[in-house]
Amino acid sequence: MENLNALTEEKIIQDLLPQKFGKVGKIWVVALSVVCLIGAFAYYRQLRYGLVVTAMRDYVSWGIYISNFVFFVAISLVGSLITAVFRLAHVEWSTPLTRIAEMIALSAIIFAAIIIIVDMGSPERFYNLFLHGRIQSPIIWDVIVITTYFFISLLLLYYPLLPDIKILLRYKEKTGRKLNQFYSFIGSYWKGTKEQARISRNALHVLSITIIPVAFTIHTVTSWLFATTYRPGWDSTNFGAYFISGAFLVGAGSVVVLMYVIRNAYHMEKYITRGHFEKMGRIVVLLALLYLYFNVNEYLVPAFKMKKSEDAHLTGLFTGEFAPLFWFAILVGMILPILILIFKKGRRPLPAFIAGCMVVVGAWFKRYLIVTPTLLHPFLPMHNVPENYRHYFPSWEEWAIALGSLAGAMLVITLLCRIFPIIPIQETLTEHHETAQ
Amino acid sequence: MKLLNKKSSGLLFVAFFVSGFAAFAQDSAKGNLNITLSYFTDNNTLPYLSVKVKTKANGKFKMVSDIPLKLYLNNDSAVNLIKAVVTNDKGEAAAIIPPSLKSQWSGSTSHNFIATFDGNKKYESAKADLSVNRAKILIDTTSDKKIVASVLALKDTSWVPVKGVDVIIAIKRMDAYLNVNETATFTTDSTGKASADFKRDSIPSDANGNIVIVAKVDDNDQFGNLLIEKTVPWGAKFIPVNDFGKRTLFATSGRAPVWLILIAASIVIGVWGVLILLVVNLFRIRKLGLEA
Repeated sequence: MENLNALTEEKIIQDLLPQKFGKVGKIWVVALSVVCLIGAFAYYRQLRYGLVVTAMRDYVSWGIYISNFVFFVAISLVGSLITAVFRLAHVEWSTPLTRIAEMIALSAIIFAAIIIIVDMGSPERFYNLFLHGRIQSPIIWDVIVITTYFFISLLLLYYPLLPDIKILLRYKEKTGRKLNQFYSFIGSYWKGTKEQARISRNALHVLSITIIPVAFTIHTVTSWLFATTYRPGWDSTNFGAYFISGAFLVGAGSVVVLMYVIRNAYHMEKYITRGHFEKMGRIVVLLALLYLYFNVNEYLVPAFKMKKSEDAHLTGLFTGEFAPLFWFAILVGMILPILILIFKKGRRPLPAFIAGCMVVVGAWFKRYLIVTPTLLHPFLPMHNVPENYRHYFPSWEEWAIALGSLAGAMLVITLLCRIFPIIPIQETLTEHHETAQ
Repeated sequence: MKLLNKKSSGLLFVAFFVSGFAAFAQDSAKGNLNITLSYFTDNNTLPYLSVKVKTKANGKFKMVSDIPLKLYLNNDSAVNLIKAVVTNDKGEAAAIIPPSLKSQWSGSTSHNFIATFDGNKKYESAKADLSVNRAKILIDTTSDKKIVASVLALKDTSWVPVKGVDVIIAIKRMDAYLNVNETATFTTDSTGKASADFKRDSIPSDANGNIVIVAKVDDNDQFGNLLIEKTVPWGAKFIPVNDFGKRTLFATSGRAPVWLILIAASIVIGVWGVLILLVVNLFRIRKLGLEA
C-alpha cells in the first residue's frame, strides 16, 4: 500500500513537472513572438513619429490602447477570485486552477502597466507622474493601485511556489540544468520545516485577505477614470460595480479557456477534470447573469430617459455606427455563453471552452465600446471639427501594438507554464494524502 | 433671295442668342457693392477711417471680404491716397490719416473722404464719399460726480462750441457702454456743453476703484464719430476672491485637501506595510532554511 502510495505520488509529480515544448508549443511561441515583434516595431514608429501614427485625435484620445488596458485590468482580477476568494472559502476543488489564475493575473497586470505607457505620447516623462502627480487625480490612484496589485500578484504566485521548487530541485535531470539553477536561485532555501510552512501559510492567508480589497480597488479606480468625468455613457454612479462584475466574468472565462488548453496540451485530464469545467461553467453563468444585470442598468435606464446629451451616444450603440459591435458584445460576451453553460451538456470541456472564448472576445469589444463611443460625443463639440475627428478606426500601428500586447500576455503565460508547475504539486500531493487517509 | 433671307435670319438669331447669352452671363456674374465710410477720432488723437463693404444677395445684405479699396482725402488723385486696403472676413477695413497728408489735413476745417473700388470678376466698380467738419470732444468731471462733455468745431483757426449735438455719456464696461444714470443721450447747449450726474456709485471697478467714463458722438452728419475717455476713482473696489492657493480637489499637487492626503496615505501605508511584512517573512523563511 505504501509502495502504491509512493508510486502514485511519484506519478503525480512526474505528471505535474514542467514539460518541454513540443512541436506545436514551439510554433505557438514563435508565432506569439512574431506578433510581439511586429507590435514592437509599430511602437518604435510611434516613438519616432509621435502619436500622429495612431488614429487618435482630439475627440478620441483614448482608443484601443485604453480599451486594452481596461481589458487587462479586468482579466487580472481573476487572481483574486480563484486564488483568494476560493482559498478563503475553502473551495478545495479549485486547487488545480489557482496557479493558472495567478499566472493570468500576473501577466495581465504587467501588460496593463505597459499599455498605459504605450498610450503616453512622451513616455520618457513618465517619471513626472511620480514627481508631480496629483493625489486628487484617479490616474494617480490607478498608478498606485496597479503597482500594488502587481506586487501582490507576484507574492501570491511566489509563496505557493516555494514547496514546489523543493520538489523541482529533486528532478534536475527532468527539468534541465539551467532551469534547475534558476529554481535553486529563487527557492533553494525552502526546506519544508514546520516553521517555514507556518509562516508561509499565514502569509498566504494575509495575502488572500489583502488582495481582495486591492483587486476591488484596482478595478473601481479604473472605472472612476471614466465615471469621474461628466460625459454621456460614463456619467454613472454604478460604474465601479459594473466594472468589477465584468472583470470577474472575463477572468473566469479566461480561466476556463486556459484550463481547456492546458488540459489538452499537457494531457492533464486527471487533474483538470470534467468536474472543474462543470463548476467553473456554473460560476461563469452566475457572473454573466450578474454582468448582464449591470448592463441592463447601464443602458436601459438612460435609454428610458433618453436625455438629449445621451441620445446620440445611446442611439449610436443601439442602432447606429456601433450597433453591430454592441450587440455582438452583448450576445457573444454574455447571452450565448449563458445559453451554452446553463445546460449540463454545455459545461463539458469543449462547449465550456467555446463559451469561455466567447466571453473573452466579447469582453475585449465591450471595453472598446465603453471607451470609444463616448469620446465621439463630447458635451462641447469643437467648432468646425474636421470630419475624420468624428469617427475612429485604429491605425495599423494601434492594431499591431494592441495585438502585440495580447500576444505578449499570452507569451508570458506560456513561458510561466514552461518554467513552473501549472498545477501546484505540493498542494495536490497534500490533498491526495488527505483523500487517501 | 429666299435662301439669303433664310441665312440672314439664321445669322440674326445666332447673333441675338450669343449677345443675349453674354448679357445674361454678365448680369448674373457681377454683383453690386455698397460701400459705407465712417470717420472716427478717439481721444482727439489720430483720426481714422473705417470702411464697410456689403452686397445684397437673395434679399439679404452680407458683408464682402477681400475687396481691394483705395481711400482718398478730398479727391481721388494719387497724391491724396490715404491707403489701399482690403476688407477682412467681416467686410471691414480701416486706415489712419497718414503723416504725408498732414498739410492737406491742416489746410482745411472740412474734408471729403473717398473710397473707390475698381471692380473685379464678381463685382462692379463702386465708389463712396463722406464729408466731415473737423471737431473735437472734451470731458471733465467735478467733485460732486458731474460729468461735463464739450463739443468744439474748428472754424477758421479756432475751436468754437457747437450747440445741439447729441452726446452719449456713459461708463465703459467690458463689451458695451453703461448709462451713468437713467438718461443715455445728452444734447449740447449754446456753450457746446452737455452734463450728466453720475449715479452708479456701487458699480464694480478695478482693485483701485477706477472706472472709465466716456463721452461720445455717434455717427454725426457733420462731425462723424468722436470719443473721449477719462479714468475716475468712482467705482466700488473689486477685491478678487482667488481660490487658487486653497486646498481643493482642483488645486495643484501640493495643495491637495488634507483629508484626501490622510486617507490616501493611510491606505497606501496600510497595504504596503502588510506587503513589506510579507517580504520580511520571505527573509525569515530563507533564514530558517539556511539554518536547517
